[in-house]
Amino acid sequence: MTRAVSPRLAGYAGLAALGLAAGLVAGRVELVALAAPFALAAVVGWALARPPRLEATLSVDRERALEGEHVTATLELASPDGADRVDVFLELPAALRAEAPNPRAVQLARHVPLTLELPFRCERWGAFGLGPVLLRVRDRFGFHTWEMHAGERSSLRVYPSVETLRTLLPPLETQVFVGNRVSRTRGDGIEFADVREWAPGDRLRRINWRASARRRELWVNDQHPERNTDVVLFLDTFSDVGSQGRGTLDLTVRAAASVAHRYLQHKDRVGLVSFGGFLSWLLPESGTRQLYRIVDSLLTMDVVLSYAVKGVDVLPPRSLPPKALVLALSPLLDQRSAAALLDLRARGFDLVVIEVSPVPFVEPGTGELADLSYRLWQLSRESLRARYQQAGVPVIEWREDVPFQVPFEEVAAYKRFAKHVRV
Amino acid sequence: MTLAVLSALVYASVLAYAVAREPTFAAAIAGLGGIGAVLLLFVLLGTEELLPWALACLGGAYALSLVAHGSAIDPRAPLVAVGLFTCGELASWSLQERYARATPRAITAARAVAVVALALSGLAVAALVLSISAVPAGNGVAWTVLGAAAAVAILGVAARLAQRAR
Repeated sequence: MTRAVSPRLAGYAGLAALGLAAGLVAGRVELVALAAPFALAAVVGWALARPPRLEATLSVDRERALEGEHVTATLELASPDGADRVDVFLELPAALRAEAPNPRAVQLARHVPLTLELPFRCERWGAFGLGPVLLRVRDRFGFHTWEMHAGERSSLRVYPSVETLRTLLPPLETQVFVGNRVSRTRGDGIEFADVREWAPGDRLRRINWRASARRRELWVNDQHPERNTDVVLFLDTFSDVGSQGRGTLDLTVRAAASVAHRYLQHKDRVGLVSFGGFLSWLLPESGTRQLYRIVDSLLTMDVVLSYAVKGVDVLPPRSLPPKALVLALSPLLDQRSAAALLDLRARGFDLVVIEVSPVPFVEPGTGELADLSYRLWQLSRESLRARYQQAGVPVIEWREDVPFQVPFEEVAAYKRFAKHVRV
Repeated sequence: MTLAVLSALVYASVLAYAVAREPTFAAAIAGLGGIGAVLLLFVLLGTEELLPWALACLGGAYALSLVAHGSAIDPRAPLVAVGLFTCGELASWSLQERYARATPRAITAARAVAVVALALSGLAVAALVLSISAVPAGNGVAWTVLGAAAAVAILGVAARLAQRAR
Protein backbone atom coordinates (compact mmCIF):
# COMPACT_ATOMS: atom_id res chain seq x y z
CA MET A 1 0.00 0.00 0.00
CA THR A 2 1.38 3.38 -0.95
CA ARG A 3 0.31 6.58 0.74
CA ALA A 4 0.30 10.08 -0.66
CA VAL A 5 -0.42 13.33 1.15
CA SER A 6 -1.96 16.17 -0.79
CA PRO A 7 0.38 19.18 -1.09
CA ARG A 8 -2.65 21.18 -0.01
CA LEU A 9 -2.35 19.92 3.57
CA ALA A 10 1.22 21.16 4.01
CA GLY A 11 0.22 24.35 2.21
CA TYR A 12 -2.64 24.95 4.66
CA ALA A 13 -0.33 24.43 7.62
CA GLY A 14 2.16 26.83 6.05
CA LEU A 15 -0.56 29.44 5.45
CA ALA A 16 -1.71 29.09 9.06
CA ALA A 17 1.84 29.62 10.31
CA LEU A 18 2.29 32.56 7.96
CA GLY A 19 -0.97 34.14 9.15
CA LEU A 20 -0.04 33.73 12.81
CA ALA A 21 3.45 35.13 12.28
CA ALA A 22 2.16 38.04 10.19
CA GLY A 23 -0.49 38.77 12.82
CA LEU A 24 2.19 38.88 15.52
CA VAL A 25 4.51 41.09 13.49
CA ALA A 26 1.83 43.49 12.23
CA GLY A 27 -0.17 43.38 15.45
CA ARG A 28 -3.37 42.59 13.50
CA VAL A 29 -5.74 40.07 14.94
CA GLU A 30 -7.53 39.75 11.56
CA LEU A 31 -4.49 37.97 10.15
CA VAL A 32 -4.69 35.46 12.99
CA ALA A 33 -8.39 35.01 12.21
CA LEU A 34 -7.43 34.54 8.56
CA ALA A 35 -5.12 31.69 9.60
CA ALA A 36 -7.72 29.97 11.80
CA PRO A 37 -9.61 27.87 9.16
CA PHE A 38 -6.33 26.69 7.65
CA ALA A 39 -4.94 25.70 11.03
CA LEU A 40 -8.16 23.84 11.77
CA ALA A 41 -8.03 22.05 8.40
CA ALA A 42 -4.39 21.05 8.96
CA VAL A 43 -5.22 19.57 12.36
CA VAL A 44 -8.31 17.73 11.01
CA GLY A 45 -6.32 16.45 8.04
CA TRP A 46 -3.61 15.14 10.34
CA ALA A 47 -6.17 13.46 12.57
CA LEU A 48 -7.77 11.68 9.58
CA ALA A 49 -4.55 10.01 8.50
CA ARG A 50 -5.45 6.38 9.25
CA PRO A 51 -4.54 3.71 6.73
CA PRO A 52 -7.68 1.93 5.50
CA ARG A 53 -8.29 -1.77 5.99
CA LEU A 54 -9.82 -3.22 2.87
CA GLU A 55 -10.58 -6.74 1.78
CA ALA A 56 -11.18 -7.35 -1.91
CA THR A 57 -11.99 -10.43 -3.97
CA LEU A 58 -12.04 -10.39 -7.74
CA SER A 59 -13.71 -13.06 -9.83
CA VAL A 60 -14.67 -13.48 -13.46
CA ASP A 61 -17.87 -15.35 -14.29
CA ARG A 62 -16.11 -17.62 -16.78
CA GLU A 63 -12.66 -18.60 -17.96
CA ARG A 64 -13.48 -18.99 -21.64
CA ALA A 65 -15.55 -16.85 -23.96
CA LEU A 66 -16.10 -16.31 -27.64
CA GLU A 67 -15.41 -13.09 -29.48
CA GLY A 68 -18.33 -10.70 -29.10
CA GLU A 69 -19.59 -12.30 -25.90
CA HIS A 70 -20.16 -10.44 -22.66
CA VAL A 71 -18.26 -11.36 -19.52
CA THR A 72 -18.72 -9.93 -16.04
CA ALA A 73 -15.98 -9.33 -13.50
CA THR A 74 -17.23 -9.15 -9.92
CA LEU A 75 -15.38 -7.35 -7.15
CA GLU A 76 -16.38 -7.83 -3.54
CA LEU A 77 -15.18 -5.09 -1.20
CA ALA A 78 -15.42 -4.95 2.57
CA SER A 79 -13.86 -2.83 5.27
CA PRO A 80 -14.19 -3.01 9.07
CA ASP A 81 -13.69 0.78 9.30
CA GLY A 82 -15.58 1.88 6.19
CA ALA A 83 -14.12 4.26 3.63
CA ASP A 84 -15.34 7.69 2.54
CA ARG A 85 -14.31 7.23 -1.03
CA VAL A 86 -12.78 4.28 -2.87
CA ASP A 87 -11.85 4.61 -6.53
CA VAL A 88 -11.90 1.20 -8.17
CA PHE A 89 -10.09 0.55 -11.43
CA LEU A 90 -9.80 -2.76 -13.23
CA GLU A 91 -7.22 -2.48 -15.96
CA LEU A 92 -8.56 -4.14 -19.10
CA PRO A 93 -6.58 -5.04 -22.20
CA ALA A 94 -7.46 -3.15 -25.37
CA ALA A 95 -9.31 -6.21 -26.68
CA LEU A 96 -11.82 -6.07 -23.81
CA ARG A 97 -14.18 -3.10 -23.71
CA ALA A 98 -15.81 -2.11 -20.44
CA GLU A 99 -19.56 -1.60 -20.58
CA ALA A 100 -19.80 0.12 -17.22
CA PRO A 101 -17.83 3.07 -15.84
CA ASN A 102 -14.25 2.07 -15.13
CA PRO A 103 -12.80 3.55 -12.93
CA ARG A 104 -15.66 4.26 -10.60
CA ALA A 105 -15.97 5.66 -7.09
CA VAL A 106 -17.83 3.97 -4.25
CA GLN A 107 -18.44 4.55 -0.59
CA LEU A 108 -17.96 1.74 1.89
CA ALA A 109 -19.96 1.49 5.08
CA ARG A 110 -18.54 -0.29 8.13
CA HIS A 111 -18.81 -4.09 7.98
CA VAL A 112 -21.14 -3.87 4.97
CA PRO A 113 -19.70 -5.76 2.00
CA LEU A 114 -20.18 -4.17 -1.37
CA THR A 115 -20.40 -6.09 -4.64
CA LEU A 116 -19.40 -4.31 -7.82
CA GLU A 117 -20.00 -5.78 -11.24
CA LEU A 118 -18.05 -4.71 -14.29
CA PRO A 119 -19.46 -6.14 -17.49
CA PHE A 120 -17.21 -6.02 -20.52
CA ARG A 121 -17.34 -7.19 -24.11
CA CYS A 122 -14.69 -9.41 -25.66
CA GLU A 123 -13.77 -7.51 -28.81
CA ARG A 124 -10.89 -9.66 -29.98
CA TRP A 125 -9.48 -13.13 -29.35
CA GLY A 126 -6.56 -13.64 -27.03
CA ALA A 127 -5.42 -14.95 -23.67
CA PHE A 128 -5.73 -12.27 -21.03
CA GLY A 129 -4.98 -11.80 -17.37
CA LEU A 130 -7.46 -9.73 -15.39
CA GLY A 131 -6.60 -8.09 -12.12
CA PRO A 132 -5.53 -7.33 -9.54
CA VAL A 133 -7.77 -4.33 -9.09
CA LEU A 134 -6.27 -0.94 -8.33
CA LEU A 135 -7.94 0.64 -5.32
CA ARG A 136 -7.44 4.26 -4.33
CA VAL A 137 -8.86 5.25 -0.97
CA ARG A 138 -9.27 8.90 0.00
CA ASP A 139 -10.28 10.53 3.23
CA ARG A 140 -13.34 12.76 3.23
CA PHE A 141 -11.39 15.95 2.44
CA GLY A 142 -8.99 14.39 -0.04
CA PHE A 143 -5.96 15.18 2.11
CA HIS A 144 -4.63 11.61 2.15
CA THR A 145 -4.66 8.98 -0.57
CA TRP A 146 -3.80 5.30 -0.23
CA GLU A 147 -3.28 3.11 -3.27
CA MET A 148 -3.17 -0.65 -3.30
CA HIS A 149 -3.66 -3.64 -5.56
CA ALA A 150 -6.25 -6.13 -4.39
CA GLY A 151 -7.77 -9.39 -5.57
CA GLU A 152 -6.27 -12.34 -7.34
CA ARG A 153 -5.33 -12.40 -10.99
CA SER A 154 -7.88 -14.26 -13.12
CA SER A 155 -7.33 -15.58 -16.59
CA LEU A 156 -9.71 -15.27 -19.49
CA ARG A 157 -9.37 -16.91 -22.86
CA VAL A 158 -11.32 -15.36 -25.68
CA TYR A 159 -11.66 -17.69 -28.63
CA PRO A 160 -11.91 -16.35 -32.15
CA SER A 161 -15.29 -16.66 -33.80
CA VAL A 162 -15.43 -19.56 -36.22
CA GLU A 163 -16.37 -18.94 -39.83
CA THR A 164 -18.74 -21.39 -41.44
CA LEU A 165 -17.08 -23.55 -44.08
CA ARG A 166 -19.47 -25.54 -46.21
CA THR A 167 -16.88 -27.64 -48.02
CA LEU A 168 -13.41 -28.73 -47.12
CA LEU A 169 -10.41 -29.47 -49.24
CA PRO A 170 -10.13 -33.18 -49.94
CA PRO A 171 -6.63 -34.62 -49.56
CA LEU A 172 -4.89 -36.46 -52.36
CA GLU A 173 -4.63 -39.54 -50.19
CA THR A 174 -6.43 -40.60 -47.05
CA GLN A 175 -5.03 -42.34 -43.99
CA VAL A 176 -5.81 -45.86 -42.86
CA PHE A 177 -8.14 -44.95 -40.02
CA VAL A 178 -11.91 -44.85 -40.31
CA GLY A 179 -13.38 -41.45 -40.96
CA ASN A 180 -15.98 -39.55 -42.95
CA ARG A 181 -13.99 -39.05 -46.13
CA VAL A 182 -14.47 -41.30 -49.14
CA SER A 183 -11.10 -42.75 -50.05
CA ARG A 184 -9.81 -43.04 -53.59
CA THR A 185 -8.74 -46.61 -52.87
CA ARG A 186 -11.09 -49.57 -52.99
CA GLY A 187 -12.09 -51.75 -50.09
CA ASP A 188 -14.91 -52.22 -47.62
CA GLY A 189 -17.14 -49.20 -47.57
CA ILE A 190 -20.48 -47.76 -48.54
CA GLU A 191 -19.75 -45.70 -51.65
CA PHE A 192 -19.97 -47.72 -54.85
CA ALA A 193 -16.75 -47.64 -56.89
CA ASP A 194 -16.93 -50.23 -59.68
CA VAL A 195 -17.74 -53.84 -60.59
CA ARG A 196 -15.12 -56.50 -61.22
CA GLU A 197 -14.88 -60.23 -61.68
CA TRP A 198 -15.24 -62.40 -58.66
CA ALA A 199 -12.04 -63.54 -57.05
CA PRO A 200 -11.52 -66.15 -54.35
CA GLY A 201 -12.06 -64.60 -50.95
CA ASP A 202 -14.78 -62.21 -52.05
CA ARG A 203 -17.85 -62.25 -49.84
CA LEU A 204 -21.13 -63.54 -51.12
CA ARG A 205 -23.01 -60.34 -50.27
CA ARG A 206 -20.73 -58.32 -52.55
CA ILE A 207 -21.86 -60.20 -55.64
CA ASN A 208 -23.69 -57.97 -58.11
CA TRP A 209 -26.38 -60.39 -59.24
CA ARG A 210 -27.62 -58.27 -62.15
CA ALA A 211 -24.15 -57.87 -63.64
CA SER A 212 -23.45 -61.54 -63.01
CA ALA A 213 -26.71 -62.57 -64.78
CA ARG A 214 -25.87 -60.45 -67.81
CA ARG A 215 -22.30 -61.74 -68.10
CA ARG A 216 -23.09 -65.34 -66.99
CA GLU A 217 -20.21 -65.27 -64.52
CA LEU A 218 -19.82 -63.88 -61.05
CA TRP A 219 -19.14 -60.18 -60.72
CA VAL A 220 -18.77 -58.29 -57.47
CA ASN A 221 -19.18 -54.67 -56.42
CA ASP A 222 -16.19 -52.64 -55.34
CA GLN A 223 -16.56 -49.84 -52.79
CA HIS A 224 -14.59 -46.88 -51.62
CA PRO A 225 -13.82 -47.15 -47.93
CA GLU A 226 -14.49 -44.23 -45.56
CA ARG A 227 -11.22 -43.05 -44.16
CA ASN A 228 -9.95 -40.05 -42.31
CA THR A 229 -7.20 -37.68 -43.27
CA ASP A 230 -4.36 -35.86 -41.57
CA VAL A 231 -4.38 -32.11 -41.95
CA VAL A 232 -1.42 -30.02 -40.81
CA LEU A 233 -2.04 -26.31 -40.44
CA PHE A 234 1.25 -24.66 -41.23
CA LEU A 235 1.15 -21.08 -39.94
CA ASP A 236 3.80 -18.60 -40.97
CA THR A 237 4.43 -16.44 -37.91
CA PHE A 238 7.62 -14.79 -39.04
CA SER A 239 5.88 -11.50 -39.77
CA ASP A 240 2.65 -9.64 -39.19
CA VAL A 241 1.40 -6.73 -41.25
CA GLY A 242 -1.49 -4.68 -39.95
CA SER A 243 -2.60 -2.12 -37.47
CA GLN A 244 -5.01 -1.69 -34.55
CA GLY A 245 -5.39 -5.38 -33.87
CA ARG A 246 -6.22 -6.25 -37.46
CA GLY A 247 -3.54 -7.80 -39.59
CA THR A 248 -2.26 -10.89 -41.29
CA LEU A 249 -1.59 -12.74 -38.03
CA ASP A 250 -5.12 -12.00 -36.81
CA LEU A 251 -6.58 -13.32 -40.06
CA THR A 252 -4.29 -16.35 -39.94
CA VAL A 253 -5.44 -17.26 -36.45
CA ARG A 254 -9.11 -16.83 -37.34
CA ALA A 255 -8.77 -18.94 -40.47
CA ALA A 256 -6.79 -21.64 -38.67
CA ALA A 257 -9.43 -21.88 -35.91
CA SER A 258 -12.22 -22.21 -38.49
CA VAL A 259 -10.37 -24.84 -40.51
CA ALA A 260 -9.37 -26.87 -37.45
CA HIS A 261 -12.92 -26.77 -36.15
CA ARG A 262 -14.38 -27.99 -39.43
CA TYR A 263 -11.85 -30.77 -40.11
CA LEU A 264 -12.12 -32.06 -36.55
CA GLN A 265 -15.90 -32.19 -36.97
CA HIS A 266 -15.23 -34.56 -39.87
CA LYS A 267 -13.26 -36.90 -37.58
CA ASP A 268 -10.01 -35.97 -39.30
CA ARG A 269 -6.78 -35.57 -37.41
CA VAL A 270 -5.50 -32.00 -37.30
CA GLY A 271 -2.02 -30.87 -36.33
CA LEU A 272 -0.50 -27.44 -36.06
CA VAL A 273 2.90 -26.04 -36.90
CA SER A 274 3.70 -22.47 -36.03
CA PHE A 275 6.72 -21.69 -38.14
CA GLY A 276 8.30 -18.41 -37.12
CA GLY A 277 10.78 -16.83 -34.76
CA PHE A 278 9.30 -19.07 -32.09
CA LEU A 279 8.70 -22.58 -33.36
CA SER A 280 5.88 -24.68 -31.92
CA TRP A 281 3.82 -27.63 -33.06
CA LEU A 282 1.00 -29.94 -32.07
CA LEU A 283 0.96 -33.51 -33.32
CA PRO A 284 -2.12 -34.41 -35.39
CA GLU A 285 -4.95 -35.79 -33.33
CA SER A 286 -8.70 -35.83 -33.52
CA GLY A 287 -11.49 -34.91 -31.15
CA THR A 288 -12.78 -31.94 -29.20
CA ARG A 289 -9.80 -31.90 -26.89
CA GLN A 290 -7.51 -31.38 -29.85
CA LEU A 291 -9.67 -28.46 -30.96
CA TYR A 292 -9.18 -26.80 -27.57
CA ARG A 293 -5.45 -27.56 -27.71
CA ILE A 294 -5.17 -25.95 -31.12
CA VAL A 295 -7.21 -22.89 -30.23
CA ASP A 296 -5.33 -22.41 -26.94
CA SER A 297 -2.11 -22.61 -28.90
CA LEU A 298 -3.42 -20.10 -31.44
CA LEU A 299 -4.33 -17.62 -28.69
CA THR A 300 -0.76 -17.39 -27.50
CA MET A 301 0.63 -17.09 -30.99
CA ASP A 302 2.70 -14.01 -31.64
CA VAL A 303 5.38 -12.76 -33.97
CA VAL A 304 8.86 -13.14 -32.50
CA LEU A 305 11.71 -11.45 -34.29
CA SER A 306 14.44 -13.89 -35.23
CA TYR A 307 17.30 -13.92 -37.69
CA ALA A 308 17.90 -17.66 -37.37
CA VAL A 309 17.74 -19.58 -40.63
CA LYS A 310 15.18 -22.34 -40.19
CA GLY A 311 14.00 -25.16 -42.38
CA VAL A 312 11.48 -27.95 -42.00
CA ASP A 313 14.32 -30.16 -40.75
CA VAL A 314 13.88 -28.63 -37.31
CA LEU A 315 10.36 -30.05 -37.05
CA PRO A 316 9.88 -33.49 -35.51
CA PRO A 317 8.91 -36.03 -38.21
CA ARG A 318 5.66 -36.96 -36.42
CA SER A 319 4.37 -33.41 -36.76
CA LEU A 320 4.27 -33.91 -40.55
CA PRO A 321 2.88 -37.41 -41.10
CA PRO A 322 3.09 -38.96 -44.59
CA LYS A 323 0.11 -38.38 -46.91
CA ALA A 324 -0.97 -35.40 -44.79
CA LEU A 325 -2.63 -32.42 -46.39
CA VAL A 326 -0.47 -29.42 -45.43
CA LEU A 327 -2.53 -26.26 -45.42
CA ALA A 328 -0.19 -23.30 -45.19
CA LEU A 329 -1.45 -19.88 -44.15
CA SER A 330 1.20 -17.34 -44.92
CA PRO A 331 1.49 -13.68 -45.94
CA LEU A 332 4.42 -14.79 -48.13
CA LEU A 333 6.70 -12.13 -46.74
CA ASP A 334 9.53 -14.10 -45.25
CA GLN A 335 11.93 -16.04 -47.44
CA ARG A 336 12.47 -18.68 -44.77
CA SER A 337 8.84 -19.78 -44.74
CA ALA A 338 8.67 -19.59 -48.53
CA ALA A 339 11.70 -21.90 -48.79
CA ALA A 340 10.32 -24.25 -46.14
CA LEU A 341 7.04 -24.63 -48.03
CA LEU A 342 8.84 -25.42 -51.28
CA ASP A 343 10.91 -27.95 -49.35
CA LEU A 344 7.72 -29.58 -48.09
CA ARG A 345 6.38 -29.81 -51.61
CA ALA A 346 9.65 -31.34 -52.76
CA ARG A 347 9.22 -34.00 -50.07
CA GLY A 348 5.93 -34.97 -51.68
CA PHE A 349 3.44 -33.43 -49.28
CA ASP A 350 0.04 -32.44 -50.59
CA LEU A 351 0.55 -28.71 -50.06
CA VAL A 352 -1.93 -25.85 -50.39
CA VAL A 353 -0.83 -22.28 -49.73
CA ILE A 354 -3.44 -19.75 -48.74
CA GLU A 355 -1.83 -16.37 -49.01
CA VAL A 356 -3.14 -14.11 -46.27
CA SER A 357 -2.72 -10.97 -48.26
CA PRO A 358 -0.80 -8.15 -46.59
CA VAL A 359 -1.58 -5.83 -49.52
CA PRO A 360 -4.72 -4.20 -47.96
CA PHE A 361 -2.65 -3.31 -44.89
CA VAL A 362 0.17 -1.64 -46.83
CA GLU A 363 -0.03 2.02 -47.79
CA PRO A 364 1.66 2.55 -51.17
CA GLY A 365 3.21 5.86 -50.13
CA THR A 366 3.49 8.99 -52.20
CA GLY A 367 6.08 9.91 -54.75
CA GLU A 368 7.60 8.25 -57.75
CA LEU A 369 10.15 6.24 -55.77
CA ALA A 370 7.54 4.95 -53.32
CA ASP A 371 5.26 3.99 -56.19
CA LEU A 372 8.12 2.18 -57.93
CA SER A 373 9.05 0.30 -54.75
CA TYR A 374 5.43 -0.70 -54.22
CA ARG A 375 5.16 -2.07 -57.74
CA LEU A 376 8.46 -3.91 -57.41
CA TRP A 377 7.27 -5.44 -54.15
CA GLN A 378 4.09 -6.65 -55.82
CA LEU A 379 6.11 -8.06 -58.73
CA SER A 380 8.34 -9.97 -56.34
CA ARG A 381 5.21 -11.46 -54.77
CA GLU A 382 3.93 -12.45 -58.20
CA SER A 383 7.23 -14.14 -58.91
CA LEU A 384 7.06 -16.09 -55.65
CA ARG A 385 3.53 -17.24 -56.51
CA ALA A 386 4.76 -18.36 -59.91
CA ARG A 387 7.49 -20.44 -58.26
CA TYR A 388 4.90 -22.23 -56.17
CA GLN A 389 2.65 -22.83 -59.16
CA GLN A 390 5.58 -24.26 -61.10
CA ALA A 391 6.01 -26.72 -58.27
CA GLY A 392 2.33 -27.67 -58.54
CA VAL A 393 1.29 -25.89 -55.38
CA PRO A 394 -1.97 -23.95 -55.51
CA VAL A 395 -1.51 -20.45 -54.10
CA ILE A 396 -4.72 -18.59 -53.44
CA GLU A 397 -4.80 -15.03 -52.24
CA TRP A 398 -7.20 -14.35 -49.42
CA ARG A 399 -8.20 -10.86 -48.28
CA GLU A 400 -9.91 -9.75 -45.12
CA ASP A 401 -13.23 -8.80 -46.69
CA VAL A 402 -13.65 -12.12 -48.50
CA PRO A 403 -15.23 -15.16 -46.79
CA PHE A 404 -12.73 -17.91 -46.11
CA GLN A 405 -14.86 -20.31 -48.12
CA VAL A 406 -13.82 -18.55 -51.34
CA PRO A 407 -10.12 -19.54 -51.36
CA PHE A 408 -11.18 -23.10 -50.48
CA GLU A 409 -13.41 -23.21 -53.53
CA GLU A 410 -10.61 -21.78 -55.67
CA VAL A 411 -8.17 -24.42 -54.43
CA ALA A 412 -10.74 -27.13 -55.15
CA ALA A 413 -11.17 -25.80 -58.69
CA TYR A 414 -7.39 -25.60 -59.16
CA LYS A 415 -6.99 -29.17 -58.02
CA ARG A 416 -9.76 -30.37 -60.32
CA PHE A 417 -8.16 -28.94 -63.44
CA ALA A 418 -4.46 -28.93 -62.67
CA LYS A 419 -2.21 -31.73 -63.78
CA HIS A 420 -0.42 -33.68 -61.15
CA VAL A 421 3.19 -32.62 -61.04
CA ARG A 422 5.95 -34.80 -59.70
CA VAL A 423 8.72 -32.57 -58.39
CA MET B 1 -15.91 22.69 -14.14
CA THR B 2 -18.61 23.98 -11.79
CA LEU B 3 -16.29 23.64 -8.84
CA ALA B 4 -13.52 25.50 -10.66
CA VAL B 5 -15.86 28.34 -11.57
CA LEU B 6 -17.16 28.53 -7.99
CA SER B 7 -13.58 28.65 -6.70
CA ALA B 8 -12.73 31.49 -9.09
CA LEU B 9 -15.91 33.35 -8.08
CA VAL B 10 -15.08 33.08 -4.38
CA TYR B 11 -11.53 34.30 -5.11
CA ALA B 12 -12.89 37.26 -7.08
CA SER B 13 -15.34 38.13 -4.30
CA VAL B 14 -12.63 38.22 -1.64
CA LEU B 15 -10.37 40.28 -3.90
CA ALA B 16 -13.21 42.68 -4.71
CA TYR B 17 -13.89 43.10 -1.02
CA ALA B 18 -10.22 43.86 -0.31
CA VAL B 19 -10.07 46.40 -3.16
CA ALA B 20 -13.37 48.03 -2.16
CA ARG B 21 -12.26 48.31 1.45
CA GLU B 22 -9.24 50.47 0.61
CA PRO B 23 -9.69 52.19 -2.78
CA THR B 24 -6.58 54.37 -2.35
CA PHE B 25 -4.31 51.31 -2.65
CA ALA B 26 -6.58 49.61 -5.16
CA ALA B 27 -3.84 49.18 -7.78
CA ALA B 28 -1.40 47.50 -5.39
CA ILE B 29 -4.09 45.28 -3.86
CA ALA B 30 -5.49 44.34 -7.26
CA GLY B 31 -1.98 43.72 -8.60
CA LEU B 32 -1.12 41.30 -5.80
CA GLY B 33 -4.53 39.70 -6.12
CA GLY B 34 -4.06 39.47 -9.89
CA ILE B 35 -0.81 37.52 -9.43
CA GLY B 36 -2.75 35.19 -7.13
CA ALA B 37 -5.50 34.91 -9.75
CA VAL B 38 -2.97 33.83 -12.38
CA LEU B 39 -1.58 31.27 -9.94
CA LEU B 40 -5.12 30.05 -9.23
CA LEU B 41 -5.66 29.67 -12.96
CA PHE B 42 -2.61 27.40 -13.11
CA VAL B 43 -3.97 25.48 -10.13
CA LEU B 44 -7.30 24.98 -11.87
CA LEU B 45 -5.43 23.77 -14.94
CA GLY B 46 -3.74 21.06 -12.91
CA THR B 47 -0.81 22.39 -10.82
CA GLU B 48 -2.09 21.83 -7.30
CA GLU B 49 1.28 22.74 -5.75
CA LEU B 50 0.64 26.42 -6.54
CA LEU B 51 -2.57 26.56 -4.48
CA PRO B 52 -0.97 27.83 -1.20
CA TRP B 53 0.84 30.55 -3.18
CA ALA B 54 -2.37 31.71 -4.83
CA LEU B 55 -4.09 31.87 -1.44
CA ALA B 56 -1.07 33.61 0.09
CA CYS B 57 -1.25 36.30 -2.61
CA LEU B 58 -4.94 36.85 -1.90
CA GLY B 59 -4.28 36.89 1.84
CA GLY B 60 -1.43 39.35 1.23
CA ALA B 61 -3.76 41.60 -0.78
CA TYR B 62 -6.24 41.55 2.08
CA ALA B 63 -3.48 42.21 4.63
CA LEU B 64 -2.36 45.20 2.55
CA SER B 65 -5.89 46.60 2.62
CA LEU B 66 -6.01 46.03 6.39
CA VAL B 67 -2.74 47.85 7.03
CA ALA B 68 -3.65 50.69 4.67
CA HIS B 69 -7.09 51.11 6.19
CA GLY B 70 -5.82 51.88 9.68
CA SER B 71 -5.96 50.25 13.07
CA ALA B 72 -9.71 49.59 13.13
CA ILE B 73 -10.53 45.89 13.35
CA ASP B 74 -12.35 44.50 10.33
CA PRO B 75 -15.35 42.56 11.67
CA ARG B 76 -15.70 40.70 8.35
CA ALA B 77 -12.25 39.11 8.64
CA PRO B 78 -13.73 35.66 9.58
CA LEU B 79 -15.79 35.74 6.37
CA VAL B 80 -12.68 36.60 4.37
CA ALA B 81 -10.88 33.70 6.07
CA VAL B 82 -13.69 31.31 5.19
CA GLY B 83 -13.71 32.69 1.63
CA LEU B 84 -10.00 31.97 1.27
CA PHE B 85 -10.40 28.49 2.69
CA THR B 86 -13.47 27.71 0.54
CA CYS B 87 -11.64 28.92 -2.57
CA GLY B 88 -8.78 26.51 -1.84
CA GLU B 89 -11.08 23.58 -1.10
CA LEU B 90 -13.19 24.08 -4.22
CA ALA B 91 -10.10 24.38 -6.43
CA SER B 92 -8.63 21.20 -5.00
CA TRP B 93 -11.95 19.35 -5.26
CA SER B 94 -12.31 20.34 -8.90
CA LEU B 95 -8.85 18.90 -9.60
CA GLN B 96 -9.68 15.61 -7.92
CA GLU B 97 -12.96 15.28 -9.78
CA ARG B 98 -11.36 16.06 -13.12
CA TYR B 99 -10.09 12.50 -13.64
CA ALA B 100 -12.80 10.72 -11.67
CA ARG B 101 -15.74 9.28 -13.57
CA ALA B 102 -19.14 8.27 -12.34
CA THR B 103 -18.88 9.65 -8.83
CA PRO B 104 -22.05 8.68 -6.98
CA ARG B 105 -24.18 11.50 -5.65
CA ALA B 106 -23.76 10.24 -2.06
CA ILE B 107 -19.97 10.72 -2.22
CA THR B 108 -20.32 14.22 -3.66
CA ALA B 109 -22.88 15.12 -1.00
CA ALA B 110 -20.68 13.73 1.78
CA ARG B 111 -17.72 15.76 0.57
CA ALA B 112 -19.85 18.90 0.23
CA VAL B 113 -21.17 18.44 3.78
CA ALA B 114 -17.63 17.90 5.06
CA VAL B 115 -16.30 21.03 3.33
CA VAL B 116 -19.22 23.13 4.58
CA ALA B 117 -18.76 21.77 8.12
CA LEU B 118 -15.06 22.54 8.06
CA ALA B 119 -15.68 26.02 6.65
CA LEU B 120 -18.31 26.76 9.32
CA SER B 121 -15.97 25.46 12.03
CA GLY B 122 -13.23 27.70 10.61
CA LEU B 123 -15.65 30.60 10.65
CA ALA B 124 -16.47 29.89 14.28
CA VAL B 125 -12.80 29.67 15.26
CA ALA B 126 -11.96 32.87 13.37
CA ALA B 127 -14.90 34.67 14.97
CA LEU B 128 -13.78 33.36 18.37
CA VAL B 129 -10.29 34.73 17.76
CA LEU B 130 -11.73 38.14 16.93
CA SER B 131 -14.03 38.09 19.97
CA ILE B 132 -11.20 37.07 22.29
CA SER B 133 -9.09 39.92 20.96
CA ALA B 134 -11.88 42.35 21.86
CA VAL B 135 -11.73 41.25 25.50
CA PRO B 136 -9.31 43.55 27.45
CA ALA B 137 -6.74 41.08 28.75
CA GLY B 138 -3.86 43.54 28.95
CA ASN B 139 -0.63 43.58 27.01
CA GLY B 140 2.48 41.74 27.96
CA VAL B 141 5.36 39.55 26.97
CA ALA B 142 3.44 36.44 27.98
CA TRP B 143 0.81 36.87 25.29
CA THR B 144 3.47 37.60 22.67
CA VAL B 145 5.43 34.48 23.68
CA LEU B 146 2.24 32.40 23.58
CA GLY B 147 1.41 33.69 20.12
CA ALA B 148 4.96 33.07 18.91
CA ALA B 149 4.87 29.55 20.36
CA ALA B 150 1.59 28.86 18.55
CA ALA B 151 3.11 30.12 15.31
CA VAL B 152 6.21 27.96 15.80
CA ALA B 153 4.05 24.93 16.62
CA ILE B 154 1.97 25.41 13.50
CA LEU B 155 5.16 25.88 11.47
CA GLY B 156 6.45 22.60 12.90
CA VAL B 157 3.25 20.85 11.89
CA ALA B 158 3.57 22.33 8.41
CA ALA B 159 7.18 21.16 8.11
CA ARG B 160 6.23 17.67 9.27
CA LEU B 161 3.35 17.46 6.84
CA ALA B 162 5.52 18.71 4.00
CA GLN B 163 8.11 16.05 4.86
CA ARG B 164 5.41 13.34 4.81
CA ALA B 165 4.02 14.61 1.56
CA ARG B 166 7.41 14.05 -0.07
